[in-house]
This record gives sequence, structure tokens and C-alpha cells, in this order.
Amino acid sequence: MSFTPLNEENLDLLREVSNIGMGHAATALSQMIGETVLLRVPKVTLADIADVPTLLGGAETVVAGITLQLLGDVRGNMLLVFPEESARRLVGRLLGSEDDGIALSEIGISTLKEVGNILASAYLTALGGVLHRVMIPSIPQFAFDMAGAVVDYVLIELSESGDTALLVETEFHGFGDLAEKINGHFFLLPDPASLEVILAAVEEAK
Amino acid sequence: MSALRERVGIAEIKVATAPTVLVSYGLGSCLGIALYDAEIKIGALAHTMLPYFRAGIRETRTSKFVDMALQEMIELLQHQGAEPNRLRAKLVGGANMFADAPGTGRSSEGIGSRNIQAAHAILGELGIPLLAEDTGGNNGRTMEFDLENGVVSVLSVRNHDRVIL
Repeated sequence: MSFTPLNEENLDLLREVSNIGMGHAATALSQMIGETVLLRVPKVTLADIADVPTLLGGAETVVAGITLQLLGDVRGNMLLVFPEESARRLVGRLLGSEDDGIALSEIGISTLKEVGNILASAYLTALGGVLHRVMIPSIPQFAFDMAGAVVDYVLIELSESGDTALLVETEFHGFGDLAEKINGHFFLLPDPASLEVILAAVEEAK
Repeated sequence: MSALRERVGIAEIKVATAPTVLVSYGLGSCLGIALYDAEIKIGALAHTMLPYFRAGIRETRTSKFVDMALQEMIELLQHQGAEPNRLRAKLVGGANMFADAPGTGRSSEGIGSRNIQAAHAILGELGIPLLAEDTGGNNGRTMEFDLENGVVSVLSVRNHDRVIL
């Protein structure tokens, strides 16, 4: 099964539900790091799977990526991507450490996974509440590597049913000045069949 | 002669001759397959995702399967004068990016290893010698395939040194 083309109303609905979910996730993140977290307007992109690494900032760009599978009534994947420097700052901030090496230590990775877990749970709880659907995140998985390599597992799963990926993307960033800014991207990649479930649930919820 | 770099994206196949360098960026579980005919300095690079094409599914891009990609590469190379019996293969990628698979709903036998196994089996059937490989593990790789000499160099984030195949 492949993705059916979306009309303008579908796109609006997806942006709106994602905004609700991401609003809760941003609140959680801002409480963790003790500063305001700002959100950009969500982007919904129906992309060829081959173009997805470019949308993540380039296949070779080194990122800290946390992926979670979406379980329950809606299936798919979630991906939280931090540029290398932001991941280091975030871990430093959360663990209260100036040590630059800590980000990729066992405790640093565990911290980033936990951030992924909290953000995904906040996002899905809000989304599931609005849509009256059960949405549960899996255990998070972490990779610090080239963006292309971090995401290709997800693309391989999608490619078993088609050549396109639907990305619901929200960019967020902290309020700090440029040198200390934490920014990242949150992606929801529903499976083709689950996109229908989401859109139907939005109609019911209206 | 300055080499022309050409990018080979996900599920793509490209054929080129010296002095081109074919590059695939950020291979994770995907498998990069290089075939080279040293005699006339021609080669092909495929960025594959899945091991085997399954009959019955509607596919627009068969080059994402290891088995179909190999077949297609050989045809394209032959069309440009390469001899199948001169072809030599090198493999890069097929990693298991997330080592901690239990509890995540993903199969323990990763797609990366299945891609590698498929490539080994098919190359064996076709009688194409596998000269070298940098596969498996849990890290991403970028591969550069130099059509001047058939050398494949591999870059990864964790090992700062290049691996030369």
C-alpha cells in the first residue's frame, strides 16, 4: 500500500494535530531544561524515500538520532534528531556537566533516549487524546552517526510497501543565545495504512 | 585528471567510467554494491535496501533489491562493453544501527545482515568474485568508488581513518 495524495484540508489537519502533540512535548522539554522552547509551524511533506536524508539535513551530516516505533492503533515511526552540538549542550544542561565527552558516554546516551521517550510520550498522549486512539511509543533506540545511516532502517521498512514517506516535521529550539542554543527536529512517519487511520480519527473528532 | 564525483542515492544504480568517482553517503543497514571491470575501467554502484524482490508486489523501483540490482547492474555494464567474467565485487554497509533491538519490536536478525547474506549468495551464484567488504557492525558508512583503479574507500564517523578496499 502506498500513500494516497493528500489534499489541502488533510495537510491542515495533520499540521494541526501535530501542533497539539508537539505543544505538549515542548512544554515537557522546556520544564526539563528550564527555558522556553519555541516551535516552528509543522511541515507536512510527502517525499520520495530517496530524498528523506536530504530533508534531515543531508545524508552525511552527523546527528544524534533517537527513533521510536509507534505502537497501538496507529503504526509508524518517530524520529528525534539533534545536531551534534545541540545534543552535547542538552546532555550537559540536563546532567549539569561541562564535560564535552559526556554526551556520548553511556549516561549521556541514556539521557538522550530518556528525552526521546518523554517527548514522544507527551506528543502521543496529546495526539491520542484528541483522536481517541491508543498511541504508544516503543523503547527508544539511539544512534550517533550520519543522518542517512540513522534513518535508513525506517526507510527500509517503508520501502517494503512503497517508495514514498510522509513526514510530519516540527522544528524546535530553545531561547538561549546562539552559542548555547539547543535545537532539534521531531518527525512523525506514519505507515501508509495508519495515515488513513489518523485522517479518519480527525474527522470523527471534529 | 580531476575526478568527477557522482552521487548514488537510496535505491539508485549508476554506471560510470574513469575518471569518475561514484559516492554513496550515509549507508546504515543499506548495502552498497560496487562492480568493476578493471580492463576497461568501467563500474557500477548500487545503493540497495532489501535483499530479495518478492513476486506479486507492485514495484516501481526494483533497484532497491539486492538481487534485482545485481542483475540490472550486470546488464547495464554489459551494454557498455564490460565482460561479466571480468567483473569483481566489493560490498559496504549492511550495519545494524541499533544494537539494542530487544523490546523495540524489531527483528533480532537485522535487515543489514540479511542484505549481506543475499549479496554473498547471489554473487556466488553468478560466479562474481567478492574481492573485499566492509560490512556489518553498528556504524554508518560513506563509500567512494574510484573508477580509475576500482579502489573503494570507506569513511565512518567513529573510525576516523579511511578503510581502503
